Amino acid sequence: MSATRLVLVVPLLLCAAGSPHANAAETIVLAAASLKDALDEAVRTFDTNTGQNTKVSYGASSALARQIERGAPADLFLSADVEWMDYLAERKLLRTETRVDLLSNRLVLIAPAASAVTMQIAPGFPLAAALGKGRLAMADPDYVPAGKYGRAALQSLGVWTSASGKIAPSENVRAALALVAREEAPLGIVYRTDALAERRVRIVAEFPATSHPRIVYPAALTAVSQSAGASRLLDFLQSPAARAIWIRHGFGRAN
Amino acid sequence: MLPTLEELQILGLSLKVAVWSVLVSLPFAVAAAYSLARTNFPGKTLFDAAVHLPLVLPPVVVGYFLLLLFGRRGPVGVLLEEWFGVVVMFKWTGAALAAGVMGFPLMVRAVRLSFEAIDRRLEAAASTLGAGRFAVFATVTLPLALPGIFTGMLLSFARGLGEFGATITFVSNIPGETRTLPLAIYTYTQVPGGDEPALRLSLLAVALSLAALFVSEVMVRRATRRIMGDDADGRH
Amino acid sequence: MTLTVDIERRLGSFRLKTAFSAGEGVTVLFGRSGAGKTSVINAIAGILRPDSGCIVVNGSVLFDSTRGIDVPTPRRRVGYVFQEARLFPHLSVRGNLRYARLFSRAHEAPGHFDHVVELLGLAQLLDRRPGNLSGGEKQRVAIGRALLSEPRLLLLDEPLASLDTHRRSEILQYIELLRDEVKIPILYVSHAVEEVVRLADTVVLMSAGEAVATGAAEEIMGRSDLRGASRPFEGGAVIDARVVAQDLEHDLATLAFDGGTLTVPNVDALIGEPVRVRVRARDVSIALERPQRVSIQNILGGRIIEIGPERGGIVDVSIAVGSTTLRSRVTLRAARQLELAAGTAVYALVKAVSLTRAGPGPA
Repeated sequence: MSATRLVLVVPLLLCAAGSPHANAAETIVLAAASLKDALDEAVRTFDTNTGQNTKVSYGASSALARQIERGAPADLFLSADVEWMDYLAERKLLRTETRVDLLSNRLVLIAPAASAVTMQIAPGFPLAAALGKGRLAMADPDYVPAGKYGRAALQSLGVWTSASGKIAPSENVRAALALVAREEAPLGIVYRTDALAERRVRIVAEFPATSHPRIVYPAALTAVSQSAGASRLLDFLQSPAARAIWIRHGFGRAN
Repeated sequence: MLPTLEELQILGLSLKVAVWSVLVSLPFAVAAAYSLARTNFPGKTLFDAAVHLPLVLPPVVVGYFLLLLFGRRGPVGVLLEEWFGVVVMFKWTGAALAAGVMGFPLMVRAVRLSFEAIDRRLEAAASTLGAGRFAVFATVTLPLALPGIFTGMLLSFARGLGEFGATITFVSNIPGETRTLPLAIYTYTQVPGGDEPALRLSLLAVALSLAALFVSEVMVRRATRRIMGDDADGRH
Repeated sequence: MTLTVDIERRLGSFRLKTAFSAGEGVTVLFGRSGAGKTSVINAIAGILRPDSGCIVVNGSVLFDSTRGIDVPTPRRRVGYVFQEARLFPHLSVRGNLRYARLFSRAHEAPGHFDHVVELLGLAQLLDRRPGNLSGGEKQRVAIGRALLSEPRLLLLDEPLASLDTHRRSEILQYIELLRDEVKIPILYVSHAVEEVVRLADTVVLMSAGEAVATGAAEEIMGRSDLRGASRPFEGGAVIDARVVAQDLEHDLATLAFDGGTLTVPNVDALIGEPVRVRVRARDVSIALERPQRVSIQNILGGRIIEIGPERGGIVDVSIAVGSTTLRSRVTLRAARQLELAAGTAVYALVKAVSLTRAGPGPA
């Protein structure tokens, strides 16, 4: 082989060597943004105990599902709602036998920590009046799970029509949380777990569980997954050791 | 495959945001370009770097800084509200601000180049004819810089029309208020079954960009012809 | 009008230190390229700031470093015609001409615009753009533009330098017309002898950043001690004379000056009109006795003032003819053979006289 050919071939070999699928020990997880703090801790524990290498990528469930649809090399998907998991199942992108409902969450109404506002959540409660000239920070109800739950809740309580013109739809629930924390919005709707994680907000009231579909976090291995460790990780996430972590962060059981 | 009323409204909002962002940032860009092209002052390099920041920072970071500064709790936002009663948070004006900031370095670069290309001796001649500094700028410098100014306006308009990251981070994705074309297209791509409206809006965006390019070409050519003194133009 | 300039300025390794005064009419700043002429008029216009000194025009102080006065250019009211015209490309000719009106608060004299347009022959050009004009047309517009700014002083920086020969004489005529028609004093920078001779009333000779001599044109142009200060120009004399007779049949005119008369062909002037002529040193021979039966028509009696230094076997001899100084260029050998010395009475034989200026002189 001539020198020129060698110069061309070696980089190609290196590229092949660096591709993710070549490293069977690494597990790639795509998870909903609201799971971040808790899942990071669980994964750390898992990796330390087993010596595995897990990489987690957080984002909006909708965006993550789309990425998997387009061939992103993920092993495990943790969604913030059932709809996007069903979306992938329909397209035969999951190993459906591995699918479990991992966690549950609650929806809360929050305000900046310094705010003194009080509110009882009941049908027809004066949400629009309480907002005044400000806006309600929430994840985009068109496509983000937290936003969809929020809209469902407000609709069932009969205040959606009055409040819908006053919302500030964010790209994800953490952005909505930040807006309230910065006092840019007087009220917001986020997951209970998010509210607990942010010191600069306080929970005004919790939405009744009956006002919205159950907030369930399904998990499943992807159809393309070749990682042996992914299965072990999913098992760990359902174990009592992991449960302690989930509870500490404010998540509940799925059933 | 015609656009729906809602899609036309999104188009209208995007145009409003982009046009206002260009118009409002224009005097600032001209001033910045002039000071960079013609003057020397302590901290000039720093100023030049600051002007170019939106070009090199990730748009989401720029959006975050805008939130910090112009939000209702931000120092500039508080001033704007107290002195002028102006609030940009969650408003189309905020989207225009984001678009204007992102397009600013492009406008400044183009205008600065055209200022630097002007023959200073013409300005000296104007002053011997009685024109003070401001008059020289208005009657000689500015008209001769028009081609560069139009180019800068187009670049900024195009950048503002496509602005996403800073807008969504700063003023969220409020339909009818801050849901510009790129944000709307993004939203549709996130919804199952939203591919068709997303495609329609994308084609609209392409058509809009081509139209803007065409208009800008015409303006630049006219201005250049005027400067070159083409009698065939018949204008004076 | 009086213009007083006394300034000093260091530009890199070049040091400008100039002092002169000028009066009515056309004053030419004459000298080699690089002598500092353009720097001087730039200082008068306010484009260049001297390190020290003062500039006064008609009693108005434009610059005085001791009192901290530096009138900004737009308020100096000096019209400047640049070497390369510098017309505004985005305005028509009319727009260029009218430019100064934008900043003038005084009422324009009715017909003034039309008068200037007519004077400079610009009527056909008014709607054209500078990009389409020839060099000569551009210069005429530039002159008109400066004129229409109602200046108290007109500065021209080698306006003919960027023109070809044909255009040059055309524009020179316009400038002569300007001098005659317009009562504004003119300061004209040039390194061309022809322009000096045709236009100047006063000459300020500049060399290496200094004004080495100031005086009436014919005087300065004739002085031999200044020869080295300017680009080596043809040594000679400039004589102001008056037409006393015209021989129309032979197309010869008799010009009288205080040193005698000169017979000159092709003089297009009327009897009584003043005329300026130039006599080159190489066209003047010397005789100790009045020669008889010789073709030369012009023989003037005079007395040698001095014999200049020898250069390449040649000497320039200065001869007083009346109050005028003629110059004659002879070989050193001839000078020795004739035993020429200061004080010797001689006859100057003038073989050729070139006519340079016709028309009324300054008031």
